Amino acid sequence: MFEALNMSGSGMGVHQAWMDAISDNIANVSTVRRTSEAAYQSRYVVAASKESGGVEVAGIALSSPVGKLTYDPANPLADAQGLVRLPDVDLGEQLTTSIMAQRGYEANISQLERVKSAYQAAIQMGRS
Amino acid sequence: MAGIAGIGGLPAGGLSALAQAYRQQVLASGPGASGASGASGAQGLSAAARAQAGREGAFAGVLGNGLSSLEATNANAAAKAVQAATGDLSDVHDYVIAATQAQVATELTTTVRNKALDAFNDIMRMSL
Repeated sequence: MFEALNMSGSGMGVHQAWMDAISDNIANVSTVRRTSEAAYQSRYVVAASKESGGVEVAGIALSSPVGKLTYDPANPLADAQGLVRLPDVDLGEQLTTSIMAQRGYEANISQLERVKSAYQAAIQMGRS
Repeated sequence: MAGIAGIGGLPAGGLSALAQAYRQQVLASGPGASGASGASGAQGLSAAARAQAGREGAFAGVLGNGLSSLEATNANAAAKAVQAATGDLSDVHDYVIAATQAQVATELTTTVRNKALDAFNDIMRMSL
């Protein structure tokens, strides 16, 4: 019973995972690694619709481990050429995506409220 | 609402006990009610059996089943409330969904019960 509530809940779950991934990416935006190591790989949530309705997190896709080779000889992690590996995370892209995730989460909340009021209106019909 | 019940300590199985009482009442009233009319041989027995079967699927039985499923919904919401209080809840919206389901299901059940009680009172008020 009340399947629409579960569907809105699954949407909120996916957007929550999306916001978690974006927070992780932004937190690691300046994570410097040696050139001999892989750069931080930013996370992207892969959403998939469920057969029974709703949505779920199908997996997490990772960006390239190459990252951005940056010349920073003052950094203690720099190699002989003065290069370090920075993650290939675009802060502007991450921030705009976080707005999308936030708005999606809020859209699911308002849909939940709408469905709940519809159910309550139907129940109200039986009173009086 | 369900959260308050979960933390405040509504006796566990309160609703299921109520549902059980409903079913026992239905079963107990079966043979007595049919005994008055079914005193003449095989046909009377089958009529009694039919009356019994009819009462099993009758309103009180349906209401008993409804109360059982309502209790499961409420128990789920109460468990989520405890998780939220102890910090074990990973997704905030999980509790909100469970509490909303419990709220709407409780409203539906009480409305159906009130409606049936109104019908019963209307019949009792009927002047013969």
